[in-house]
Formats: sequence, C-alpha cells, structure tokens
Amino acid sequence: MVELVPTLLRQELARLAEDDLRLDGRGRWEGREVTLETDCLYNAEGSAKVVMGDTIVYAGVKFELRTPWPDRPAQGSLMCGAELRPVAHRKYEPGPPSPQSIELGRVVDRGIRESGCIDMESLCIVPGEKVWGVMIDIHVLSDGGNIFDACGLAAIAALRTAVVPAKRFDVGEDYTLKVNGTPIMSSFTRVGGRYIYDPSEEEELGGDERIHITLGDEGHLHSLQKGLRGVFTPAEFAEIFEVAHLRCTELRKLVANQEGN
Amino acid sequence: MGGYGDVQLLRDDGLRLDGRKIDEMRPVAIEAGVLPAADGSAMVTHGLNVAVAAVYGPMEAHPRKIQRQDRAVIDVRYNMAPFSTSDRIRPGYNRRSREISKVTAEALESVVLVERYPRSKIRVEIEILAAEAGTRCVGITAAAVALADAGIPMRDLIVGVASGKVEDTVVLDLDKAEDNYGQADLPVGILPNTGEIAFLQMDGDLSPDEFNLAMEYNFKAAAEIHEIMVDALKRRYEGGEN
Amino acid sequence: MSNGQNGAELRLVTPGMAIGPVAGKRVGSGAIAQNDTIIATRLGWTKEFNNTVSVDPINSAYMPRSGDLIVAVVAEVRNNLWFMNINGPFQGLLPMSLAPWKVEFGAARQHMGIGDVVLARVQEVDECHNVVLTMKGVGLRRLNQGTVVNVPINHIDRLRGEGNATVQRLRDASDSRIIIGENGRVWIDGDAEGTAWARQAVALTQASGHKTTFEAELSALEQNAPKKGDA
Repeated sequence: MVELVPTLLRQELARLAEDDLRLDGRGRWEGREVTLETDCLYNAEGSAKVVMGDTIVYAGVKFELRTPWPDRPAQGSLMCGAELRPVAHRKYEPGPPSPQSIELGRVVDRGIRESGCIDMESLCIVPGEKVWGVMIDIHVLSDGGNIFDACGLAAIAALRTAVVPAKRFDVGEDYTLKVNGTPIMSSFTRVGGRYIYDPSEEEELGGDERIHITLGDEGHLHSLQKGLRGVFTPAEFAEIFEVAHLRCTELRKLVANQEGN
Repeated sequence: MGGYGDVQLLRDDGLRLDGRKIDEMRPVAIEAGVLPAADGSAMVTHGLNVAVAAVYGPMEAHPRKIQRQDRAVIDVRYNMAPFSTSDRIRPGYNRRSREISKVTAEALESVVLVERYPRSKIRVEIEILAAEAGTRCVGITAAAVALADAGIPMRDLIVGVASGKVEDTVVLDLDKAEDNYGQADLPVGILPNTGEIAFLQMDGDLSPDEFNLAMEYNFKAAAEIHEIMVDALKRRYEGGEN
Repeated sequence: MSNGQNGAELRLVTPGMAIGPVAGKRVGSGAIAQNDTIIATRLGWTKEFNNTVSVDPINSAYMPRSGDLIVAVVAEVRNNLWFMNINGPFQGLLPMSLAPWKVEFGAARQHMGIGDVVLARVQEVDECHNVVLTMKGVGLRRLNQGTVVNVPINHIDRLRGEGNATVQRLRDASDSRIIIGENGRVWIDGDAEGTAWARQAVALTQASGHKTTFEAELSALEQNAPKKGDA
C-alpha cells in the first residue's frame, strides 16, 4: 500500500529544518531511546528484542546441519533474512516477501557477513560433509520508523548470544558461538532537505532518500546502502559518516553492557 | 497425536513431568496495547508460548471480491516465526497455518458485531514468537484482547484453551511433551460470559466421558484466563475515568 | 443508581460483561440487551443518562456522521471529483459541485492535488459507508499552511473541553490557530515555537487524556508556554 503524504507534513518538515529542529524535539543527530533485551525467545538458539521509540523488532538465531557448497568444502554458512509482515504496520500487505523485506534482510546480512565476525571455517564439522548453517531471522512487530537500525542491532545482539545446539544434532556438546566483533548499522534519512539520524515514522513518511552505514569495531565500513528516490553529495556523506562513527560506538556499548549483565 | 506408550508423562506421585496437577494450567500473563503501530494489540505468554496479536481496522475491504455488503470480514493471519520452534520454520504460509487462520477468523466473526461495518475488513495478525504446544489457543486469546483493545464491538471475548489425554488420563493444557506423546488434544475457544463455544478442534482418541471431563477442565481454565484478560485490558487504562 | 439519572458510578467494562438488568432502561451505544441483561460490547466506561445505559469506548475508529467538521487529505483526483482520506474505514468523495470553486470538468487537479489538506464537512453518509463531503460553507477551505496532528477519537471532547475552554487555552498559550476535526485530526497553525508547544499539549492529551491527573499536567505545561507572559 502506498502511503499518502500530506503536503502540509513536507512543508512542516522543511520549515523545522530551517531552524534545525525536529518534529519530536530531538537534535539532528540524536537517536531515540533504545532498549535491548537478549535471550528472550524460548526455542531460538540466540535471540534479541530491540525497542527504538515506537519500533519493535525481534531476532532469533537457528542452526541446521547441512552439506557444504562444493567450492567451499570447509566452510559453514550464514544467512540473515527479514520479514516485514502485515503485523508491523497498516501499510504492509500479506503476500510473498516484498522488495523492501528482501532489501532489509540483505543489508543487515551484508553488514554482519562482511565484517567477518563469523569465521565460516569454524562452522565446519566434517570437511566436505557436514557444516553448520546459521540463520538469523528478523521479525518486525511494529514499524515506528528506522527499522533498519533496529533490525541490524537485534540481529547482531542475537547472534552474539547464540549457543550452538550440537547436542541436539548429535555432534558433541553445546557451545557458545564464537563471534569476533559487533558490526552496527546507522541510518540517515533526508528530511526537510537535510539528513537526520534515526528517523521517526512521520519523518520517514515526509522524507526522501536514506543511507545505511554499517561499521565494524575498528570503524571500517562493511556495508552501505542508499535507498529510495533522491541524490546526495560527497560532502553530505562525509558529514553523516562522521556521525555514524559516534552512534555506532554508542550502540556497540549498549550490546556490550547487555552482555555484561 | 504422536506415538504413545513409550514415554512416561505422569510421575509416580500422580503429577505431570513439569510438576503440574492434572487439572492445572501453565502460568498465563497478558499485556494489552504492546504494539504502537497497531490499532489494538496484545501479547500473551502461556507457559513458554509467546503470541502477539495486532488489529488494524475496520478499513475498506480490498480486493472488492472479498467485500460483504451486509457485514465486515475478519481477515486473520496466524503465523509462526521462523525461530519459534526447535526446528526452523521456512517463512511463508503453509497448510497448517492457513487452516488455523480460517477457523480462527470464523470464531472471531462469531463474537465481533460484524454487521456494524458493511463492506469493511478487520485485519487480525497473530504472530507466534515462541511455541510450546497450544499456540492456536494462545493466538485466539491474544486476538480477542487485541480486538477489544482496538475498540471493536464484540458480544463477548473468546478464550482459547485446550485439554487432552496422556497415559489414559485427561489433563488440562498440554505442554510440548504431552502434545507430542499424548493420546488426544481438544482445543476450544470459549465465550467466557455466555459459556458458548466458537472454536472447536480435536484429534486423537477420547471416550464420551473423557470428552466431558476435558471440556469441564477447559471451562475452568477459560474462567481463569478470562480474569487475566479483563485485568490486562483494565490495566491499560488505569489512572482515572476517561 | 438510586436517583435513576446520572448518579450511576462510572465503571470500566470489557466486551461481554454484564452491566445490569434491562429493567425498563434503554440500551445505548456500546451495549446490547441479551436475556434481560445489558451487556457491554466494547471496552470502555459505562454511562447512564436519561434512562439510557451505554458504554463510552476507550478506543474507536472514526465513523463519519453528517455535519462533522473534518480535516481530510486528497487521496485521488478524477476529472470531476476528489477522493479524500478522512481517517476512517472508507474514503470520502468530494464532487466538483460541492467544491468551493467553480470547477470546469477535467480541471479538478488544478484546484487540489494528491496530499493537499482541506477542512471539509460531511454532507451525508449512507448505511453502506458511502461518504459525501462538502467544502461549501463558512471557513471550509484548502489548508495551505500549518500542521496536522492525530488524536484518538475518544480524546476529542477532552481536548475541546467544556464549551471549548481547553482548546481555547491551547490557542492562547501557543498563539496559534487550532481547529479540531471530528475525525481525530487537529490542525495547528502558528509560529515554530507555538506549534511545537501545541503539539506537546496535544500529545499530552493522547498520553494522559484519560487520567485524572490530566488537568494538573496541562497546567504545568502551560507554565512553559511560549506566550505565557502575554496572557
């Protein structure tokens, strides 16, 4: 369903931008309060719930035993998928996975995969015969804006708490999955002509294109995505890239604190 | 029901494996209004089951061919999250979820005053986040609370409950092992105020007497869960008159 | 209940709950009679007034009634009519003949396009939810500036206040124009500071409109109003 964008909303967002203000009173680079809960789903081998303003997202990790790809006999696999089901918002319709769902899952997937936080060889049990397939499924329950960051955070937090169910599959004792790093996504949307961090539902509705940046622990880029209609300049990117470092570091601390508990 | 006879489900002291009495249900907790984007919502935890329901509408029924000129249609989707069971479920609809969605929709249509909203659709989305036997019942309970939370007029709530049979004994509210290795499962949707039944399924083997006892347990559990539902709805709006 | 008028105590009820015996009383909205008992059909507060028992729902979709003043958004334009999103289950239809301008056939788009926000009135509603809107009338127009905020339908009366006292307080405190649409959309037009304050005040009615502490919270917010000094 295509959402109706009231002309007045775009006008108001443009007017606020002139004074460097936002609809909900936040600063331009200020995020909403984030709460993170892990190990919250019975039956998932790793799980996390993220609440970011009105956005609520769950992620669950499952394992399966499979035969490795012939060209990579000693490597397991990682897959991350997202579902934007109609539970999450009136605008989502039932049916096969939408292009938005697929984009969302793949952007999160790339950030985690390319950060190298999972050593694929460590997922090998018998080369050429038996490897672990790790699957992260992300479930958006309420879309209150910026689901990308919420999904990215839920996925990595769930992965970092995952326990490999070796006993259930008769291949040894259960052990904690080794995850080397915490890739984090930061998203920016053009609202009222300039970029802001962590858009709300209304800001997304009246906004334009968005940019998603996933950074690893060392501050290296691991995935980038520009979505929706619009263009940006290198100078604009340089500005949000700097902010992304700060926000990613904060969220990485949140994950670490949660694990410390 | 799965194979039985080889797994012990009742302990020597007459209690069940998880320590419950035969007519004791698992702990239930309900919260209304948990999803900000929905018109009404609820989360129900029943034992280790977790179900979330969202309600959207009433809205114009699309596509046109599903429209009813004299009443609203209730469009239910029951879905198990991929990580909700011990073996991952491939995302998407399957025969089981379609059947449950259909009979759940018909149960809800029996209590919602659908004739108030001709040509409309009320969307009910049931998502199972964690499954430990009895998810369709937990989903019905969640849907009923979400509908009330959305302000949809109904002549009663519906409570989803199940009883069954293990080791030739009728027990209330089967857990996972009892569901897998038991002899019968009888899930029902009960209207707590009128005592009518809007949802009924059963599989396995029950004698007429066992059926009657199972229904007696179901009614008892429905009354208990109803209190928790009412409490959840009232808690959402505590703090003074409107 | 002894005086049989409005003495009945407010009670929070859930669907299916018995409110009391019919006993000659009329059954109002949000309730039905079943076997001589009045049953609540909605989550809300019971009310007894003029011998009629009803339930004021806590949450409700907007159901248009003729005469309602609403804030609508153009959703579709045809040669000779506009379809409007009215925040209800069904779209409203504004025919060319009920627009405030003289419109040539085929020129509808020149007057209002998709996304434009208007102040309109509900002309008529039939039992199948067909809604016809009009923009002929005093003050009905396209809204070219300002902002629109959503509030739950059941909070509208509270936002308005007795004899419009509350909304007038918000207008004064924010030095803004504020129009409350029956369809849960509130139009606010003021300077940046005033609009921001009015948004906060409207948000407060959403969060606390049903609580007894609402009046105190609103007064506290008024202390921070941008135009407090002028009052």
